[in-house]
Amino acid sequence: MKQHLATGVAAAVVLFAAGTGFAADETIAVFTKNQTNPYFQAVRVGAETAAKTLGVKVEQYVPTKPDSIPEQLSQVEDVIVKKPNAIVFIPVDYKALVPAVEKINAAGIPVTNITDRAASGNFVAFVGADDYAIALATGRALLKAMGGRGNVIILEGVKGSLTASDRLRGFTDAIKEFPEVKLLASQPANFQRLPALQVMENLMQSFPTIDGVLAANDPMAIGAIEALDGANRKALVVGINGSKEAVDLIKSGKLVASGDFNGFIQGCLGVEIAVRNLRKESTPKEIILKPVVIDATNSSPYETPVEQRTCPTLADMVSQ
Amino acid sequence: MSAADVAVRPRLALSSNFQQGLYRILAAALLCMVLSGLSEAFMTQNNILNVLRQTALLFLMASGLTLVILTAGLDLSVGANIGLSACLAASVIKTSDSAVLGTATGIGCGMLVGLANGALVTALRIPSFIATYGMMWMLTGITYFYMAGETIHGFPPAFRQLGIGYLLGIPMPIYVMLLFLAIGTFFAQRTVWGQQVYAIGANPVAARLSGVPVPSRLVLVYTVSGAMAGLASLIILARINSAQGDIGEDLTLPAIAAVLVGGTSLFGGSGTVIGTLIGALILTLVLNGMNLLQINASWQPLVTGVIVLLAVWISTRTRRMNE
Amino acid sequence: MSDAAAATTALPRVPGVAFALIVLCTGFAVTSAGFVTPTNIANILVQSTILLLLALPMTLIIMTEGLDLSMGAVLTLASIALAIVIISTGSFALALLAAVAVGLCFGFANGLLVSVLDIPPFIATLGTLGIAQGLSLLATDGQSVVGIPRSIEGIYSGALVGVPLPIVIATLAYGATHVLLYQTRFGAYICALGGNREALRVAGISVRGMLILVYLFAGLMAGFAALLMTARLNSAHPTAGIGMEFDAIAAVAVGGTSFERGNGWLFGTLLGVLAVGVLRNGLNLLAVPSSAQVASIGALVIIALFIDGLRREP
Repeated sequence: MKQHLATGVAAAVVLFAAGTGFAADETIAVFTKNQTNPYFQAVRVGAETAAKTLGVKVEQYVPTKPDSIPEQLSQVEDVIVKKPNAIVFIPVDYKALVPAVEKINAAGIPVTNITDRAASGNFVAFVGADDYAIALATGRALLKAMGGRGNVIILEGVKGSLTASDRLRGFTDAIKEFPEVKLLASQPANFQRLPALQVMENLMQSFPTIDGVLAANDPMAIGAIEALDGANRKALVVGINGSKEAVDLIKSGKLVASGDFNGFIQGCLGVEIAVRNLRKESTPKEIILKPVVIDATNSSPYETPVEQRTCPTLADMVSQ
Repeated sequence: MSAADVAVRPRLALSSNFQQGLYRILAAALLCMVLSGLSEAFMTQNNILNVLRQTALLFLMASGLTLVILTAGLDLSVGANIGLSACLAASVIKTSDSAVLGTATGIGCGMLVGLANGALVTALRIPSFIATYGMMWMLTGITYFYMAGETIHGFPPAFRQLGIGYLLGIPMPIYVMLLFLAIGTFFAQRTVWGQQVYAIGANPVAARLSGVPVPSRLVLVYTVSGAMAGLASLIILARINSAQGDIGEDLTLPAIAAVLVGGTSLFGGSGTVIGTLIGALILTLVLNGMNLLQINASWQPLVTGVIVLLAVWISTRTRRMNE
Repeated sequence: MSDAAAATTALPRVPGVAFALIVLCTGFAVTSAGFVTPTNIANILVQSTILLLLALPMTLIIMTEGLDLSMGAVLTLASIALAIVIISTGSFALALLAAVAVGLCFGFANGLLVSVLDIPPFIATLGTLGIAQGLSLLATDGQSVVGIPRSIEGIYSGALVGVPLPIVIATLAYGATHVLLYQTRFGAYICALGGNREALRVAGISVRGMLILVYLFAGLMAGFAALLMTARLNSAHPTAGIGMEFDAIAAVAVGGTSFERGNGWLFGTLLGVLAVGVLRNGLNLLAVPSSAQVASIGALVIIALFIDGLRREP
């Protein structure tokens, strides 16, 4: 019986490999942080979409333990053995993964950095959004909608994340521009919905009047809205991500605005740049996406799900 | 542990459990007094209802788990089970627009997972720690695969009542909690099957020799634990109105902590369902207090760790004093 | 005896984990070009060293019918302590001392809670997990600790006579644990702690003392594992070690050490750690989708124990 088991397992593994196929064309290895945050799924979809257009193959590497630093390091080491033609890299932590980037550089594999700017390393290019600028613009949108006065709270992201700290700075600077707005509290809710709901519930106990909520991402904004609805209280809320759910809420009037921070474009551009670099075509050193705030006036293009969108070309982006 | 101990144990166990429960209720009451002194927002109607609602969710997750731990077993897959059940239920609700179908899916999925755990532990004779650990990974993989990084959101209002609805001014989850508190306590204390569960935990060999069908009771407790996880997942769905692959992350250890803080012994055979409720209440009070006092979130794991140690130490001391 | 029974008792010397390891290695060697290269094999071994350093003392603790859930968090805190000390004093010796001290402190605390206060190990170490994690977050405010002198990296990337240093360290650790367990009286006491404590009491050995020593040993190894981790990351991060204790426990269980009865097999632990390392590496080389990887880890654990279950008497 053990022999049958052995044959069965070996057969399964062979079938696996046959399924993944032998790639004769260029292979790009794409690294993202986890499997559950829709942002990174959008990055992966963007990467696949661009790959199809350009005729290259993409291999996705995601840690089995979400946001695991040692695991991403191990994955980089394993991938280097395979020698993909190029790598598109989102570091789980922009400081701790520097040794991984150094290994990639030492192996001579060209690597493009997207989303979180790594603290150091040689990259073909960096594609990202300016979290600070997005938060600043989104914050201003909320405070303007509030008429420039009232009490606000901030829901922060994960402590230690560059994205979270940049967005926090953007929000606080926006508040500084409106002297009649008071910041009641600023609490982390881990970029997640349920923690944001519970934090909001608790804050509503301590503060009877909350006029505005600045949430560093959409899931937290939506969690806050759920908490407000549950307590029959009203406040103006903004988030960041431009997710489908947020757009729906903008249309129904429950969400004021959402900063556009969607991974789709970054995934597209990351792969495009990697491929162009391989084919010896010119590539820009850096693309920082312009901050766009999605509100009721401009939400239509964001209603298409990412799987159906087409990648912008580099020419489109550079000409902006 | 000899057969004589088993014979003597039930009489002592009852009063010991009662003492345990009493100490815990006192601890919870003390916490409430301290918190209302430190924060004027604590003793408000809204906050109390919030605390009870959050406790209800934790209790539901931990209630089935109590039965498993009573048999000296462990279920590490609770969180992952909730994740998968929630995602499947959400998907069914969205496509069929039927809250009933979705509820059935959620609880059904939970039960199937529990059944699988029970099978691994009894038929394949894999220690529960490892069996449920392996199951946790498999469920997580399936959930990730199924959700593919997407979010399912927007459920019908009828379904949402389960999480956000009120009846006579009291949130629905609290009624669900009370219902299952009653069912669980009745089962554990007043039915033969319940007593058999205690017996298996206290002394599996003696239980088997005295005619208890150990494997089928074990399968039962794991299935119940899974079903309760499925139920908890529905309430979470109703509350946050969405489902995502990581919905069950970080839920297992707090559930286990609630059971242990509630006085149930890891060695099996001792503990109560109401103890788990009080354990859940104590843990929720601590978190609520830290939020109200705006204590840096970084302190939370530390404070929770200390509370868990204190609670169990007291529990062990009093159990020793009774022996 | 039926045929099936005869078959299972005929192949008893191949434990589930060894079987799994052989199947995995063969499978990956056949399907993936890069698997059998020297670089890759070195990668697998080096990647497994930190987990091995945790799994070795975990074997001993499980043999005493205990568990140490705090190891990952203690490793993390120790690595943060190491990073902070080396950045502020520049002294490697002091930094290593700090890491080991953190490990020993928590080891001592665990031992006390379990032996003196009679708190079940699961809960005792769950509590210290929270405390260690809390301290890590408070010390770093969630940020990576960077600025470590490059020389530290050499501990992870350096080599001794061509053998990568982490492998050297892991081999020494394995050797030390092996000698401790199988060739000293202390080892015999540990075996007795798991299932025959009466014998110890009769012999006048302090059960409490022995338990404390076992958890101290775990703390010590966590300190050294922290050294490897910090060298690997060239930084310290408050989430670096999260969950590693569960991986260690799984590796020990997969390796054949039983949770009851105090049977321990150190070599089995090594095989268990390697099996997980090989599985992850092979799946990465095959670019298997992450969700399938997650599920495979669970499957490996269950299959390995299932095979073991077939061999055991009812």
